[in-house]
Amino acid sequence: MISKIAARVPNGGLIAFFVVMTLFFCFFARNFATATNVENILVGYSFIAIVALGQMFPIMARGIDLSIGSILALAGMVVFDAILIFELPGWIAIILAIAAATLAGTLNGLFIVILSLQPFVATLATLAGYRGLVYAISGRQLYPELATTPLRDPSLAWFNEYYDVGAWFGLDAFITTPWIPASFLVLLVVMVFLYVLLAKTPYGTALKATGGNKEAARLAGLRVRMIEVSAYAMSGFLAGIAAVLLVARLTTSTEALGIGMELTAIAAAVIGGTRLLGGQGNVLGPVLGAFFLGVVLIGLTLMGISQFVQQMLTGAILLAAVGYDAIRRGAGQ
Amino acid sequence: MTEDTKSDESRRHFLKSMALGSAVMGASAVAPGLPLTKTSGAAKADGHAKQKMAFIQWQPHTVPNAWSKGIEEVLNAQEIFDYQLLDGQNKVEVQVSLMDTLINDGASVIFLQPIDSVALAPSIASAKRRGISVITLNIDATEEHAAHVEMNHYFGAKEIARVMGEKMGGTGEVAIMNAPPGIIIRDQRTNGFVEGMAEYHPGISIVADVNAEWSRQKAQDALNTVLASNPNVTGVYGVNDSMALGAVDVAKQKGILDQMTIFGNDGERDALESIEAGELTGTQYTDVYQQGRFAASAATVMATGGISARDFQSQGTLLMPYIIATAENVGGIQEAQRW
Repeated sequence: MISKIAARVPNGGLIAFFVVMTLFFCFFARNFATATNVENILVGYSFIAIVALGQMFPIMARGIDLSIGSILALAGMVVFDAILIFELPGWIAIILAIAAATLAGTLNGLFIVILSLQPFVATLATLAGYRGLVYAISGRQLYPELATTPLRDPSLAWFNEYYDVGAWFGLDAFITTPWIPASFLVLLVVMVFLYVLLAKTPYGTALKATGGNKEAARLAGLRVRMIEVSAYAMSGFLAGIAAVLLVARLTTSTEALGIGMELTAIAAAVIGGTRLLGGQGNVLGPVLGAFFLGVVLIGLTLMGISQFVQQMLTGAILLAAVGYDAIRRGAGQ
Repeated sequence: MTEDTKSDESRRHFLKSMALGSAVMGASAVAPGLPLTKTSGAAKADGHAKQKMAFIQWQPHTVPNAWSKGIEEVLNAQEIFDYQLLDGQNKVEVQVSLMDTLINDGASVIFLQPIDSVALAPSIASAKRRGISVITLNIDATEEHAAHVEMNHYFGAKEIARVMGEKMGGTGEVAIMNAPPGIIIRDQRTNGFVEGMAEYHPGISIVADVNAEWSRQKAQDALNTVLASNPNVTGVYGVNDSMALGAVDVAKQKGILDQMTIFGNDGERDALESIEAGELTGTQYTDVYQQGRFAASAATVMATGGISARDFQSQGTLLMPYIIATAENVGGIQEAQRW
């Protein structure tokens, strides 16, 4: 009965593993089971969850976006330049940044479908290209004195606010509840939007069909090239939103922002059950994957486990997730 | 209690007192303005609960490794601290997350090598609100904190320019093997060198400034390109030792080492050995173990003295002493000082 229920729940295995690991750290990691730690996990991994959701789209279309970290840096630098150099209001800077990131993602898709490039190769090239562009437009290079000027715009600062949601529901009378960061609220809004997009619109079905079997999708009349481009555009769009959250938290942007983020995002998406062979994925998976990585890393840090062991364990978890996916597929065939 | 354990106890107390004494001296050097007399450090040092301290490094490298060893030497002598070295993975968001984790865990002092001066400022402010002292190493933060212990990047680089220019006879062309832009110490080490050359040796021109990404391998490629377009280059300044050693590799390969004057910066073991072998001309040497010890000494005083980060009126800063190591004086750097 339980196994039948678990089989029907999306990401049931990951949820169970997540709960077990969380309970383990609650008992064995000092100060893990605290409201402050929950706040830290929520604020530290919400933007990574959004990047992972972005990465999910190209993977679902049987591609990959290696440039997602560079796009994040590009959007971050647009915010920096717009506010500090051009003195634009924060909300305009945010729109420009997300637009720039979406454009960068769209270009990735166009390179792939028009030039018939492998997604790995195309986005590896733009990983370098967009990073170079970040250096070229960097306000920190053009005006070195700005490198030590924090971003204080109120629109941007909102994304780093915290809300005492527990008090709204009267829970604070019984337990110390964590304050919920605005970045997590943004993540929830993004999740709802993406859920509707993927599960309730024809676009979601078309994306899965394209990733599952592109030729069959084309023969069925789907505009697969357009769908592929849109997947990379979504990846860029979500990287732009993540960049805004990150820049708000750091009160600045740097040229090196987001380096290595693509690997974390791919890991979170894959741990969350997104198939690297395309055609499969859901909104909950990458989010769980991102927070799972966060719980493990913070838990191990609080236990005083060596940094090198932490990296080995992270690799092992990724291997286990991919292995589990392969075994499950094998069993299903 | 047996005689042996009594003896161990008194020895431990003696060591503790010695360590505390040296910590006070170290902290005085670091931050003369600290209110050290406000509370007594000895009373808390007798407590049983271990206090947590951690160092968030930029990424694994010889320099932070040596700092960490210096820090551990001082903290282990106290026997009242748990110390942890954490890897920032060269990602500012990871450093911020680790800061949050340590603040939540109630660390008494956090040592930090910030990747960015501004990006870590909110985390430092958050630590300060919780009474947690932050000591930065090499890269300062825009948010005032307990103390900052730094290699003397600017004046050291200026001094490198003076000595290098003398070795070159006051004329010639120089190439800089540089780090990627956007890092404060890169600018300090570059500006100090450029301004030093202009001041001491106006007859020397800097004809190339290329990004070799801190890497020996990249510096080899970069210098080969530079020499192809600037065959008259006879001087190379590496913003760190790895890049200078990459330049040495190229000069040896081309058989022009005897015509080249090559300086690095940092003073790591490989660079000192290269100077002794007559290959690298010189480098700025800093005793990085000692830098870690100074930071740990200050931290010890803060933690055992119950000094909260909120007590600080102003940030203490210590610029580390250095020497320009060349063939003439490198032998004076003892084995225990090499890292």
